[in-house]
Amino acid sequence: MSGFAVFAGKEAREIRRTWRLFVLPGILAFFAVTGPLTARYTKEIVGALASDQLGQFQIPDPTYLDSYAQWVKNLSQIALFALIIIYGGIVSAERRSGTAVLVLTKPVSRTAFVIAKATVHSAFLAVVVLIGTLVTWGLTAALFGTAPGAELWSSALVWLVYGVLFVALMTLLSVLIRSSAGAAGAGLGMFALVSIASLWRPFAEYSPAGLTSLPTSLAAGKDAAVLWPVLTGVLLALALVWAAASVFRRQDL
Amino acid sequence: MTITAAIRTTALTKAYGQKRALDAVDLTVDEGSIFGFLGPNGAGKTTMLRLITGLARPTSGSVHVLGHDVATAGNAVRADLGFLPDVPGFYDWMTADDFLRFAGGLFGIGGAVLDERVAMLLDLAGLAGVRTAIGGYSRGMKQRLGVAQALVNAPRLLLLDEPTSALDPMGRKELLDMIASLRGRTTVFFSTHILGDVERVCDSVAILDRGRVVAHGPIGELKARYGVQKVVLEVTGAADEVAARIATRPWATEVTRESGGAIVVTVTDVDAARREIPAMVVAQGTGMSRLDAGEMGLEEVFVELVGGEQR
Repeated sequence: MSGFAVFAGKEAREIRRTWRLFVLPGILAFFAVTGPLTARYTKEIVGALASDQLGQFQIPDPTYLDSYAQWVKNLSQIALFALIIIYGGIVSAERRSGTAVLVLTKPVSRTAFVIAKATVHSAFLAVVVLIGTLVTWGLTAALFGTAPGAELWSSALVWLVYGVLFVALMTLLSVLIRSSAGAAGAGLGMFALVSIASLWRPFAEYSPAGLTSLPTSLAAGKDAAVLWPVLTGVLLALALVWAAASVFRRQDL
Repeated sequence: MTITAAIRTTALTKAYGQKRALDAVDLTVDEGSIFGFLGPNGAGKTTMLRLITGLARPTSGSVHVLGHDVATAGNAVRADLGFLPDVPGFYDWMTADDFLRFAGGLFGIGGAVLDERVAMLLDLAGLAGVRTAIGGYSRGMKQRLGVAQALVNAPRLLLLDEPTSALDPMGRKELLDMIASLRGRTTVFFSTHILGDVERVCDSVAILDRGRVVAHGPIGELKARYGVQKVVLEVTGAADEVAARIATRPWATEVTRESGGAIVVTVTDVDAARREIPAMVVAQGTGMSRLDAGEMGLEEVFVELVGGEQR
């Protein structure tokens, strides 16, 4: 096996045998289960708690689209924040602990080191999101009696591109900033900037900034042009990982 | 037979801002030798190892390791290296067995060869049968595992940064014995500030002070070059008079008194001193209880070269 494959295998085992197995999957599992329940019973809960204050206002009956919207909203906010914080140390933690020194004095290039990390953690995110989406889909079908797949899966997959883009961004930031907290702060700042930039429609239509709002539109069953945001998002993710490897190769450890 | 250089540095310089951690270091380490890289704390030893391993890039100059330029060689040179940093960092969730298998895998070693090597190295490190995760190890256990992982690829060049610093006396003796056993098969380059370790196992030594190599060569040669010979004498009486007599002789360059009363004579000709001192003691009408003559040790060479300007 090549050094890349062995190191990627280590990353995968590290997920299985440390806190990484529980944190992101735990957060997504919680929302995958509670999202459809919240959507289904919001009317009853609000009615029980505030029936006197609603007056003429009628809460519409929930549909499966409300359940999908819950899932995508949680992915786009809390899950993304968690991802940014978790991956603030994706590279810098190995530098701080000295493990990078032991690995990189063996036949593993720095490029392989960075790419293996970005690849394994993107794959991990994909698995977790796919399982979470599957749970949401199943619970929605059970609670609402119908759960067409197109809206849910298209929005989840488009969000996955956004999530992978942030894994790549955090890989670069973790190479550039030696403090995990510092890199996480910079990541949250980038998220805020992209969210603001996405308000300018032409920019959102032709850049990865469109990935901010696309999942919500798709989950609501609206037509949306996904090609350019997804294509540029994938290309930007690849460019960020390349940049991370390129900077890492030039750094002193 | 031509002896090739395992390490050759040419005008190697590493600067951090205005400070030069290494300053134009020219160093050659012969293949098959056990080389001690000696210097006080902060002299630049760890910086040197980071440049040799390619972890850091020189500000100027070059490093060639096993015939490869480290700046361009990449995996080709790392495949033949074993490296133990001063404080080795491990994945706390792994066991020693896990880590050695992981390290071996990075070198492309697998199957029965890896099984056999891991078992042998665990035994060498005194970690056979230890099933707990590395996170629970003592510093000494981590240091021993660090040595084991550095040997997993049977390296041509073994680089050790302060390898004995975290070990107890037994562990230290075992490690030095192990290093000595590699003589002629593997080039060992180890940095240390412990003179006794170098004197015990090394063929050659370089002494580094404030980023510069102030002495470099076989230990015997260094001692001959920098080490003056000394005679230590104890008499039963009239020590001041005997010391004064000795000070008149041309082979005596310096005469001092130790706190216990012994006379220490720095000499240029130890044989002449051995011949003439007993006669001078007799002429002074007193007796002699001790006469030791010999070379300075490496410690005295070290102190002479860098000790006077210790910061």
